Amino acid sequence: MFQNYLAASLRNLARNGQYAGITIAGLAIAFAAAILIGLYVRDELSYDSWVPGHQQVFLVRQKITGALAKPIVEETTPGALADLMKLDFPQLQYVARLSGGTYPPALRRGDISISERRFIWVDPDFFKIIAPPAVAGDPATALAAPDHLVLTRSAARKYFGRDTPIGGVLQVDGTPMSVAAVIEDWPTNSNVSGDVFGSSLAPQSLIPDMTKAGMLSNSLQTWIKLKPGADAATVSAALPGFVARRMMPAVNRIAPDEHLRIQLWLEPITAMHLDPVESGTFVPETDPAVVAAIGVIGGLIVVVAAINFVTLMTARASRRAVEVGVRKALGAGRRDLFVQFMGEALVYVAVALIVAVAIAEIVLPGLNTVLQRKMTFDYLGDPALLVTMLVVTAVVGLLAGVYPAMVLSAFRPASVLKGGPIANTGGGGLRQALVVTQFCVLIVVLLAAITIARQTVFAVNEGTHVKQDAVVLLFASPCTDTLRDAVKAVPGVESAACSSPGAISLTNSIDNVVAHGRRVNLDWAPVDFGFFEIYKLHPLAGRTFAADHPADDGANHTDDAPPIVINEAAVHALGYSSAQAAIGQVVNWHFRAISLKLAGSGQTSPYRSSQIIGVVPDFTFGSVRAAIQPTFFFVAQKIDFLSSVVLNIRLDPARMTQTLPRVERVWKDVSHGQPLQEVFASQFMLRLYIDTIIEGAFIAVCALIAVSVACLGLFALSAYTAERRTKEIGVRKAMGASSSDILKLLLWQFLWPVLAANLIAWPIAFLVMNWWLQGFAYRIDQSPWTFLAAGAAAVVIALATVFFQGLRVSRAKPVSALRYE
Amino acid sequence: MLKLENVSKVYRTSEVETQALGEVSLEIADGEFVAIMGPSGCGKSTLLNLLGLLDSPTAGAYWFFGEDVARRSEAQLTRLRREHIGFVFQSFNLIDDLTVAENVEVALLYRKVPRAERKQRVREALERVGIAHRAGHRPQQLSGGQQQRVAVARALVSAPKLILADEPTGNLDTANGEAVMALLTEATRSGVSVVMVTHSLAQAAAAQRTIKLLDGRVVSETLLAA
Repeated sequence: MFQNYLAASLRNLARNGQYAGITIAGLAIAFAAAILIGLYVRDELSYDSWVPGHQQVFLVRQKITGALAKPIVEETTPGALADLMKLDFPQLQYVARLSGGTYPPALRRGDISISERRFIWVDPDFFKIIAPPAVAGDPATALAAPDHLVLTRSAARKYFGRDTPIGGVLQVDGTPMSVAAVIEDWPTNSNVSGDVFGSSLAPQSLIPDMTKAGMLSNSLQTWIKLKPGADAATVSAALPGFVARRMMPAVNRIAPDEHLRIQLWLEPITAMHLDPVESGTFVPETDPAVVAAIGVIGGLIVVVAAINFVTLMTARASRRAVEVGVRKALGAGRRDLFVQFMGEALVYVAVALIVAVAIAEIVLPGLNTVLQRKMTFDYLGDPALLVTMLVVTAVVGLLAGVYPAMVLSAFRPASVLKGGPIANTGGGGLRQALVVTQFCVLIVVLLAAITIARQTVFAVNEGTHVKQDAVVLLFASPCTDTLRDAVKAVPGVESAACSSPGAISLTNSIDNVVAHGRRVNLDWAPVDFGFFEIYKLHPLAGRTFAADHPADDGANHTDDAPPIVINEAAVHALGYSSAQAAIGQVVNWHFRAISLKLAGSGQTSPYRSSQIIGVVPDFTFGSVRAAIQPTFFFVAQKIDFLSSVVLNIRLDPARMTQTLPRVERVWKDVSHGQPLQEVFASQFMLRLYIDTIIEGAFIAVCALIAVSVACLGLFALSAYTAERRTKEIGVRKAMGASSSDILKLLLWQFLWPVLAANLIAWPIAFLVMNWWLQGFAYRIDQSPWTFLAAGAAAVVIALATVFFQGLRVSRAKPVSALRYE
Repeated sequence: MLKLENVSKVYRTSEVETQALGEVSLEIADGEFVAIMGPSGCGKSTLLNLLGLLDSPTAGAYWFFGEDVARRSEAQLTRLRREHIGFVFQSFNLIDDLTVAENVEVALLYRKVPRAERKQRVREALERVGIAHRAGHRPQQLSGGQQQRVAVARALVSAPKLILADEPTGNLDTANGEAVMALLTEATRSGVSVVMVTHSLAQAAAAQRTIKLLDGRVVSETLLAA
């Protein structure tokens, strides 16, 4: 029986090659897209699930609240926390701290001299907690010696030209350190990322100084691994007591007036990536809403392809009507026929799946490159993946096949067996509804793609409010007056000014200030003279710092504080009625020289008063997902990287290519061999938006795929419909209709569902995009032009798809149409 | 064997009511060859569809081998059709995607005949109609006469008690038409009743009885000399 069905089905497929090909192509493209999107979503949801024993691995998180302050949520914790937790919590098997990325050391070997941004300082037990597979040596014990390093395979190749340079020596900030172990490259789906790992026992590691900086200096990650069988809930329950015992006395000594409260909790390593809480992180997090949206779009593409399938199969049902009538006359029951046609649907989707797997395998390497990931598609080695693919395919086949099977098996033999053309096969209403639905989905996806693209462009170019074109950042530790003045003298340099990491949103520091009768947490950041001017940040009131005002310079103050400039957000936070109203007002804060050594000394400074001399517009070098924090700026003594870490250089755009080599020569002279680290400000900011840009591109590609699949289906449907109406068209032409009359008739058939789809899609898209845009503190407004553009695009796509088919048919001679029977 | 008692068939749509047959009564004996004639639209095909259980009467009784089947469900009619009736159509109605042998085999598939027996019966049916040498060909590769012979083989392979032929020679030339008529006549000799709708007096002459319809009613019955 099934052999007979299969023979009929496969031969029918071969005989109707064009339609079968289009149906299968549409399904295959959709399945391939769904597979790749599924791999991406799985990758996003499985961060660090590769870590052995990951169920027992946690990051210690912290939340600080105070009487009149917004809570501060941190992924970092004080350096002293690790040892204290080891003492108080017997459930802990290992504890290790991690610090890295922000202040890269200079690595040197032979001719290679690099400021290694992927250098991480960790405690010796770190690789007992999180451990990629070892390539050479024993990473778990490698960092017990202060002069040891652990490299990834890529770093080993980069510095030594081979995979296992055990014993090889690298100069790290001038100190020789040797390679004790090599690990596999860090997986891309991980919350930790690094290439060179140094021990916290090394004298030049920053961790001891950061530890001495006190209980409110949160600059290290504290990782813990619980003993097998130990219960995280028990540890969590004991954390409030720990905080009260071990942290609060020191905190209250540092900040006696601020009534701070500290809450610690354990975040499972596998939950971190999708944690929507925005905080300073080493690896960008993903918004779970975006991951969900991309997953939904993958599903919608499959829906569009399935709709194609249903519409094409039912439209072409009349061609099988005679066969149905004959089979029924020969004794087939409705159930027999239903099973036969369901089986055909499954044959289609099975063939489509095979093609889809091939497409996915071809596309995946390129996708990995674009997304900077290492996703794998090992369906034979991963039973869960294989079963999922088969089940989803079968479900799609069954659901999509049900309606055509029902239509086909319902033909009454008496009405189909007389011979001649078969009348309307019915289901026209449902088919129209499906085409409307298809275009609805398309228009929503188009609108989403357009809105996301607009928001991304806005975020990168305008949301930061910083004019970053033709500005170069030169990292120096510290950036000194000597360097600045030497670079300023270079022809082609318009201006140059140092700034702290806080000013370019690399770090953030907070002080609890008293002003205007209130106590408020403000961010603070040291800057140099001319910093605001480089980024064209003109004061909204008052003035910015000027070199001809010596009192502006913090280096000239010891017992009192220099004047400050605040941003608009600070104006509101402090409760002033306007920017102008803030000028001349006094702010009390803990002014002191800014350096790591001083921070590590644990000294607290008393409140000192500063006058507000200017208000600048809000700006950020950070992500526009978060609101710009109320911030004040001052000119500080340039002691080390905490106070002054980058030289911001504005270049004459017309002479940039000649100017940059000159600047680099100046750097060589002034820097005493420190490796050059320079980046265009626009590129620097782009790093925060790479994920948003990639998401936007991904969604745009998905939109294109959805459009292609829908167009394939529409093309086939229009071809079929034109063929069905050949006799009618012949009669109309014989009655005097022109080719353009016929063309209009055919085009209108496909135009009105698209217009109807617009009316339904617009409110849906508006609500969905509104919800998505809420995730940005600074966002575009949805514009009516966007909706009109998407609607017009859908109409143009639909008409273009069916136009040539319609043109061909409308030009055919009437006699050949009337001879059709 | 078959008896229609005052059978009527009315087709209704939301706007139009058409009476295709009005109070038709007739009997057909085992092994009888009956021809049905009449102008276009007189109800011939409707009568054939009712006899073949492809449709149900609006009124009246239809005794099919002693059972009144006029009000039976679609599933019951399907079962009866499968077991007792074969069809031959004017436009052949072979399934394009199946070979000649597979087309004939379909009739046995729904009867759940075992594979070996199916193959043998198909071979015998094809030999009986003289088309066995084309068993592996597709319908598009055959002439009209050859296709109709395959259709006759398909009707005969399940050993029905009744064959209904709707203008079986309408699309054939004279020689092929006579060949098909010979096959149908031969079938009656083994006790199979044949009811044939035809426009051709020459074809009707092969039947034992001719029934004439006009506007959905029987207007005459003519017995031919044996």
